[in-house]
Amino acid sequence: MATDKASRGVGGWSLLVFAIILAILGLILAAGGLWLVTLGGSWYYLIAGLGLIISGGLMARDSLTGVWIYFLVLLGTLIWALWEVGLSPWELLPRVFGYIVLGVIILALLPTLKRRQATI
Amino acid sequence: MITSLRVLTYVVSLSLATHAVAQDAEGETEIPGGPTTSEAQIDVGDSQAVQTPTFSATSQPSDDPAPGDWAAWGRDSAASRHSPLSEITPDNVSQLEVAWTYRTGDMPKEEGQGKYAPETTPLKVGDNLYLCSAMNVLISLDAQTGEEQWRHDPQVDSGAIPYSASCRGVTYYEVPDAADDQLCATRIIEGTLDARLIAVDAQTGELCQSFGDGGTVDLWAGIGERVPGWYAVTAPPVVVQGVLVTGAQVKDGQAEDAPSGVIRGYDAVTGELEWAWDMGKPNLDGLPPEGETYTRGTPNMWTTASSDEQLGYVYLPMGNSSVDYWGGNRSEEENEFSTSLVAIDVNTGELVWHFQTVHYDVWDYDLGSQPNLVDFPLDDGSTVPAIILPSKQGDIYVLNRETGESLFPVEEVEAPTGGAEPDNLSPTQPRSGYHSLAFPNLEEKDMWGMTPIDQLWCRIQFRRASYKGMYTPPTVGQRFIQYPGYNGGNDWGSAAVDAERGIIIANYNDIPNFNRLIPREEAEERNLQPIYAGGDNTDSESDGPAEGAGDPQVGAPYAIDVNAGWRAPITGMPCTAPPYGGIRAIDLASGETLWDEPLGTARKNGPFGIPSHMPFKIGTPNNGGPLVTASGLIFIAAATDDLIRAIDTETGEVLWNDVLPAGGQANPITYEVNGRQYVVIGAGGHHFMETPIGDYVIAYALPEDDN
Repeated sequence: MATDKASRGVGGWSLLVFAIILAILGLILAAGGLWLVTLGGSWYYLIAGLGLIISGGLMARDSLTGVWIYFLVLLGTLIWALWEVGLSPWELLPRVFGYIVLGVIILALLPTLKRRQATI
Repeated sequence: MITSLRVLTYVVSLSLATHAVAQDAEGETEIPGGPTTSEAQIDVGDSQAVQTPTFSATSQPSDDPAPGDWAAWGRDSAASRHSPLSEITPDNVSQLEVAWTYRTGDMPKEEGQGKYAPETTPLKVGDNLYLCSAMNVLISLDAQTGEEQWRHDPQVDSGAIPYSASCRGVTYYEVPDAADDQLCATRIIEGTLDARLIAVDAQTGELCQSFGDGGTVDLWAGIGERVPGWYAVTAPPVVVQGVLVTGAQVKDGQAEDAPSGVIRGYDAVTGELEWAWDMGKPNLDGLPPEGETYTRGTPNMWTTASSDEQLGYVYLPMGNSSVDYWGGNRSEEENEFSTSLVAIDVNTGELVWHFQTVHYDVWDYDLGSQPNLVDFPLDDGSTVPAIILPSKQGDIYVLNRETGESLFPVEEVEAPTGGAEPDNLSPTQPRSGYHSLAFPNLEEKDMWGMTPIDQLWCRIQFRRASYKGMYTPPTVGQRFIQYPGYNGGNDWGSAAVDAERGIIIANYNDIPNFNRLIPREEAEERNLQPIYAGGDNTDSESDGPAEGAGDPQVGAPYAIDVNAGWRAPITGMPCTAPPYGGIRAIDLASGETLWDEPLGTARKNGPFGIPSHMPFKIGTPNNGGPLVTASGLIFIAAATDDLIRAIDTETGEVLWNDVLPAGGQANPITYEVNGRQYVVIGAGGHHFMETPIGDYVIAYALPEDDN
């Protein structure tokens, strides 16, 4: 672990910070989502939140599986959003746009993650 | 079949009931020491059958405007908002350019900051425009050049501003048989924020000395203690058979013991009080006896009436009692007349008929739209003199304007119960069988935001709130969702009617409010004070001091907190998905929707109040109405994107738009001078709609070369 930390460059730190933010976002969604479920509302937010917590946690440990889980959440979100509101652009905006932005960041961090995996 | 029969039966019984009640109100109660009632009774009997000759129908420009004029607030007394002009067409409208810009110079001073919403629509008669500024400065412009001809500043103190500094328009009146050169033979009349009627000469702007007290009538007479800002006129009065009729805005939600909603008729020449219609004192003809006031706290009329010169009727879209969200202490009369359209015979000041659109209104669904008079086409080719009444819930009613009977079924549908006063709520509410601008009930998935997180927040709020569809009863402590909110449906901008094409054009809002009743103790902790104790409803849980955002409702057990537009904290974004407003074309004869489009782009709206500059049509909140032309165009601003646009009446397609220097929350007009057609809009902005404040009046026309 010590060598691992020592070898973190800017990319490595960015990956870690992003992964933590992702997990925090997941925590917010999961907590609010749990509240919503207890009120009789949609299960989506709880499930997506848990997905993001796992994804962020794994990415913080340089695991490629975390990336896969993220895109699984994104795919599930897309399907859920289309099921809920169809192709209405204004209604897809809050449901999908943020995930796509995060997805692009993950793709940008992917080379770093792979490099770090190779050095382990 | 059974349903429709039941409905028809209901309609019949409803109209019978209405008349019975009307007669009750007319015939009953003799007040000891009051004026004799026999005279009133005879007048009433006559009013239904015969035209009494007290005042006669003399055609005013407003009753039949010259083709190139815009002689009344809704162009004519019928409030058609339809102009026969056709120089500007769907083919050439894209060439419109600014012909002139005028600035009134009336911008908010210290006390007026955050309260300006001029909402001003000029009149055009002959070669002149007549308008008022936010603080009631009367102005005449050359209609061709926009040059100022005269102005009269009635020196209204900014302390008199009620919820908004608004002056929606003025009234033009020609004194019958007066010599042309006589001062005030033609006159401009306005109602002011400090509750005065002011008449000036249309040619010079000089006060009409023979009108009231040196040109002014004090509307505070008989109202009670003068509390600036509590009782204010923001709408133009109407003239019917020489009688000038006005109501007034009574600032909402202050106290049950509030200025009266009395409607008064004045001689348009002398300013003398002809009659008063006080629903609590049906036998009162004029001023209340010394030491008394008109009945306090009764429903008022803050918007503009329409009128039928031939019948001698004025049609009053009544609001709600002074305390909007609690009805427990309301009188029988209040429950009878609140949120109703009331027809009064101007010869007598007596009630002819009334039609209620909400029973026991605890939602501030006051009637805001000026109703439109039409010859309503029937299947057999004949027509009925009718009146079209849009409402804030979105339902549009078509009534026989002689009798008040609905031409279409009005069904009494079951309404939700519970909340703070379960025993008082009406078990049913009327629904129009003609048309409704309303949308299906909200669902959790209609919640919105910029990200999943704020959307989730709104979904949690949705689940925690009380929501039982339209007419969800107000609840104490727990939030209740009011959908549609008090912004409509259709509001004061009103609808336009293209009778030749047989099309009604109505813009509307589609926005919920997120409200709760506040227990008195909490209201006291928050120090919610009524206006007479120096209160200003700026203590709000929501973003801005919206109407109802922390109103004390003194006298009721609860105060009220309204989150207008149900906006999320921090981002200020609405909790529900767009569109928030639209514009719709409705087939006049059948009430069927011809087209329906979102109104307004996202260019000026965005999270944290930052303009997104997105040119996409999103459908924004809107305030202000449309006009229609014979050439098949609609002109409307109203939306919060600060655009004025021309829309094809037949298709709903936006053919042209231009960016205004301030919010366009006003009704545009169109007119012609020297063979050239102009479209004019006041760009004054609106504090509640959060558009930039300005003092502009802008005229558009085709390039002169094309003429």
